[in-house]
Formats: sequence, structure tokens, C-alpha cells
Amino acid sequence: MSEVVLVSTLDALGQFLRPSTLAEVFVDGLSKAAVYAMIAGGLTLIFGLMGVLNFAHGSLTMFGAYLGGLVLVVAVSQATGPFARLAYFFVAAVVVFGLLAALGGALEVGLIRPLYDRPPIYQILLTFGVTLVLDEVARIAVSFYGLQPITEWQAALGTRPGVLSESYTVAGVGANGLDLFQVAVGALVVGAVWAFLTRTRYGLVVRAGSEDSEMAEALGIDVRRVFTTVFALGAGIAGVAGLLLAWDPTWGASVPLASETLLPAFVVVIIGGLGTFRGTVYAALLVGLVDAVTTWWFVNAIEFSALPEMTVFLILVLVLVVKPQGLFGVAEVGGH
Amino acid sequence: MTLLPRVETMIAVFYFGLFAASFDFISGYTGYLSFGHATFYGAGAYLVVLAANGKLSVPYDTPFMLLVVLAGLLALGLALAIGAVSFRLSGVYFAMITLGFSQVIYVFVRDWDFVSSAPRDGAAVIGPSGVTPPSFDIGVPFVDALNLAVGQLSGDTVEGLFGVLNFSTTEVSYYMIGLVALGCYLAMQRIIHSPFGRVMIAVRENEERARAVGYDTFRYKLAAFAASGFFAGVAGALFAGWRRSVAPDNSLFFLVSGDALLASIIGGFGTLAGPLFGRLFDETIREFLSKEGAGGGLLPYLREHLSEGALATEIFNGLTVQEAISTFINGHASLYLGLLFVLFVLFVPNGLLGTLRERVGDTLAGAVDERLRR
Repeated sequence: MSEVVLVSTLDALGQFLRPSTLAEVFVDGLSKAAVYAMIAGGLTLIFGLMGVLNFAHGSLTMFGAYLGGLVLVVAVSQATGPFARLAYFFVAAVVVFGLLAALGGALEVGLIRPLYDRPPIYQILLTFGVTLVLDEVARIAVSFYGLQPITEWQAALGTRPGVLSESYTVAGVGANGLDLFQVAVGALVVGAVWAFLTRTRYGLVVRAGSEDSEMAEALGIDVRRVFTTVFALGAGIAGVAGLLLAWDPTWGASVPLASETLLPAFVVVIIGGLGTFRGTVYAALLVGLVDAVTTWWFVNAIEFSALPEMTVFLILVLVLVVKPQGLFGVAEVGGH
Repeated sequence: MTLLPRVETMIAVFYFGLFAASFDFISGYTGYLSFGHATFYGAGAYLVVLAANGKLSVPYDTPFMLLVVLAGLLALGLALAIGAVSFRLSGVYFAMITLGFSQVIYVFVRDWDFVSSAPRDGAAVIGPSGVTPPSFDIGVPFVDALNLAVGQLSGDTVEGLFGVLNFSTTEVSYYMIGLVALGCYLAMQRIIHSPFGRVMIAVRENEERARAVGYDTFRYKLAAFAASGFFAGVAGALFAGWRRSVAPDNSLFFLVSGDALLASIIGGFGTLAGPLFGRLFDETIREFLSKEGAGGGLLPYLREHLSEGALATEIFNGLTVQEAISTFINGHASLYLGLLFVLFVLFVPNGLLGTLRERVGDTLAGAVDERLRR
């Protein structure tokens, strides 16, 4: 019995080590990494500057998935060709980014701003309460418009253009169109945020505020306004991440998406080290690739369905045990 | 219409309030936010159900009181293991690593077919095959006369105690589970008011100074975490004993820890009795806004007191009052609780009990005592 298992494991190992398999797993891992970087990117911006661990981030992602899905569903009746649909994706991205950024800004000004004088735990608590409210509002809206009990909102999935459903084979390596699209969008967003932080004047202000907010204040920067902007930006990115997930059959738009994305986002941010955008990107790569490898092993050799999901949290625990500050973290960020 | 919750609801207040108190015991008194506390609650609950199904190496009819203690000890062991690693970190990192451990365990149990044939739906007490499932007795183990069985749909009744007292099965469960919860509360109270408890508070107020004074704070934190885990395990065992079933989502999921957090904040963070009141508040609102609301909720009240005409009135675009009520109120207590929670964090940061204590300038018992002496 155990001999059979051993042989099949060796078989699987041989199959896994084939260059084409490795390349396919790598592409899959990149697409997962892109998704993780997207859902964690906004969170790390907000934490890095303000020291607010935003529990509502997953709910904002979920809002983005529904709102973006709505825009896509409305737009599909006007678009026929696959490239027109792709174009509408970017229209939807702009709309979702705007709406979520407005919501994020309002949340910061109305609820989080009064709490800066209190211990940081109160900001975590507040955003936790906001999640409860946002999730329930979504649940009411979704049941009111009759989108439930379909957990993966089929209408939004249906707007995915055919070009993203096909597989493409280049030099013996097969890759799914959606995976490639996710990698492209993820790279675009990560590149944009990186350019914003390091190449623009406002990015310099943001970094100054996150290094030493008192000093930045003394230099005449209105740190409060920077906080609002960054919170809006982070919420907007969460929304776009949600939009990207609305097309992904393994995620899809649903109310539980809020906690399903919140936890991996936390994991990625913590693994990378609180407050470093670079760390978050590397952590997303690490988690994405390991996730892809364990998913392959689960599909091909190991019959424990919890394996890929468990791996994400195991990486968190391992990294924190070995390096408590995360991969790129510094000890004291945002007063923590 | 009465606002008091049903006896069933009060039982949930007892076992979950005990869990929330154990969460507050570590988070409110040492300042280390244990965001994976549901692990200990779930471990206790699963131990009871698995043992009663004969899946563990204890006899399936082990007295429930022993299972409760075993559940506490299992949770204590888990807390020692998790705490030993986690207390190297502080602040947000501590919250996250405990959350990480708890999610690993949650996902693992959710897909572990040892637990039941459908682990995602959880496990119920069915007993080993061919045997009637055991009853869960609270009392003195091995002395039949001093035991009363608890359970949601089963359990003992008491008739003619002292010639006058009669209790239904639910009321028996209420008193027995309440007794265990009270005992645990008093034990935690005792620890908080001991020199050990003073060190816990010293860690919360200024850990560096506590260390400078000469306390090995790591050991104190770990011991406090283990004690907290023990009581969380007991609370989980009571939960499983009453419900006679357990599922990953109502025991091990991180939002269960979130519910404990909710109860602690509303009741008063850093007050041991606060979480009990917080949970009472929480359950009362949930019950008040639910459709059945057997204690007399808002919906039955509205249905009885609003006329047919009023219910059928159209508010907006074909939406009648009746539909609006069932859309926006029924089953959506989380929305209103979430709003209340946000308001509490913003305006009542000390919670119900903490604010009251601040007003009277003492613990409530102390204040009443003083009034009476005057």
C-alpha cells in the first residue's frame, strides 16, 4: 500500500520536474502573485503611511467586485467584440477606482480621523466594525436585487471575453488567457504604485510622512490630507483588485469574498514586513509561487484539499517564527 | 412585548460570554490582541464531540465534567505551543501570528475527514455506531444523584425540588451551564486580583518597565495566555455540550474571535464581567431583530400592531412596508450591531461596564456597598 503511494509520489515528482510543467506552474504562480499583490497593495500603502491595519480592506475589494461586475454587465450589452469587452474592463476599472476612492476618503475623514490620538488598537477595532456594516449592506443589496443565492455572480463571469478563456501554448508551455491578463494588470498596478511612490513629488511626500510624520508636519506638509489621499488610493486599488477577481472563476463576486481576500492580503502584507511596498510585492511573489506549487501537487498527487489554502497561512507562521519583522520589515513602523 | 431574551438565548450568553471573557482576560488585561482565540474555543468543542463519538482514546461515555476539564487542558496545551512562538512578537504582529495559527487549524479541520464524513458541515454527537449517544451531565462525576443532563433538544427536567421548584430541560441547562460559567468567571476574577494579575496589567501599561522591575514578562504572558486558553476551551466544551454538534464556521473561524472582540468592546475592554454583558447586549439585539424573536422581537410586534393597510403601503418603486421590513431588518442584526460597535469605539471606548465604573468611581459592587453603608 505505502509502496504504491511512494511510487506514485516519485512519478509525480518526475512529472513535476519536467521543464514544461515547471514553466506552467511558474506562470500560474505569477498570476496568483499578481492577484495577491493587487489585493494586498492598497492595504500595505495604508498601513505603511498611517499604521492603520484596515480590516475593511476585504469588504472594499468585495464592493469593487460587485460594482465592477455591474459596470461590465451593463457594458456588455453595448460591446460585442472581445477587444471591446477588454476595453470596457478598463472603463470599469476607472469607475470602480473612483467610487471606492471616494468611499475610502469618506471613511478616513468621517471615522478614522477622530481616532489618531488614541492607541492604534482602536483603529483596528473601528475598521473591524466597518467591515461588519459593509458586508451586511452588501448582503442586503445583493438579496434585494436577487443576485443571491448564486455565490459566484454568474452574470459578471459571463462578461469575460473569450480570448481570456482560451489556453495559449508557446514553446510547449500552456498558459491560460486569464492568467496572462492577471499578470499584465497586476504588473501594471504594481508598476503604477511604484512609480507614484518613487517618481512623483506627491509620492515623496507620502514616503516622508511614513518615515516620520512629525518631521513632515514640521516641514509644512499637511499630513492629515496626505492620510486621506492615501486611504482613498488604497481603497481604490482594493476596488480594482475586486474587479479583477470578478472575472476569475476561482474567486468571483460574492459577499464572503470580503474575508476570503482580507486574510491572504493580511498574510502577504505581514510576510513582506509592515510598511514596505517592495516587501509586499516580494511576499506576493513568494506566496503566489508556493500556492501554485502546492495547488499542482494537490491536483496531481496529494489528496488533501485544504493543502493550498493552508500553505498560505503556514508561510505566514514560518516567516514570523524565523523573522518576526517580516521579510523586509523594520522594527518600528507607524508606532507599532 | 418583552425585551428580555429567551432562556435559550441566555444559555448562549453564558457559554459565549465565558469565551469572550477569556478573550478579554488575555487581550484586555495584557494588551496582546489574541486574534486567533477561536482556536481554543473550537478545540474544546471538537474534543467533546469527537470524544462522545468514540473517536478519541477516551471512553465515549466519559463524564461530561471530565471532558470539560480535558477540553480546557487541550486548549491550554495548544495555547502554550502557540504562545511560546507568538509572544516573541508584539502589537499587530502578535495579532497576526495568532490569526495565522488559527486559520491553519481552521482550514485543516474543515477538510479533515477524520472529524466526520462531511467535515465542512461539522460533526454532531451521534455516539459510536450501534450505541446510544451519551448524555452530557453537569455535576459531580460518577455520582448519579448529583448530575443533571444538559442539551438543546434533550436533557433532564427537575420536578418538585424543595417541593416547589420545577424546571424544564432548557431551564436545567441554563442553570447548570450558568454554574460552570460562573465558576470559571470567579476563577479568572481571582487570578486578575492576585499578584499575578497585577503583573499582567503592568505588562499592558508598560512592558519595558515591568521587565526592568525584574519580572520575566515572557513567562507571565505565556502563563496568562495558557490560562485564557483553558477557559476558552471550557467555554467551547459547554457550547458543544449544549448544541450537541460543532462546525468549523461556528467554532474555529476567525470571525468567532471577532464576535468575542465585539462583546468585549461593547461590554468594556479590560473588565472581566464586561464581555458577559456585551454578549447579552449582542444576543438581545440579534433576538430583537430576528423574525422569530420568541421573547417578543421587533418583527412580530410590528406585524401585530401595524394595520394591513400600513403594511401594504408602497414606499418606493413597488416596495411595500412589509417587504422593506423583511429586507432591511429580518436577519440583518449584524448591520445594526456593526453600527453600534463603530459608535461604541468612537464615543464609548470604555464600553458599558467600563463607563459605568468610571461614573461611579469604583467597581459597581464596591459602589453599591458604599451606598448601603452610608
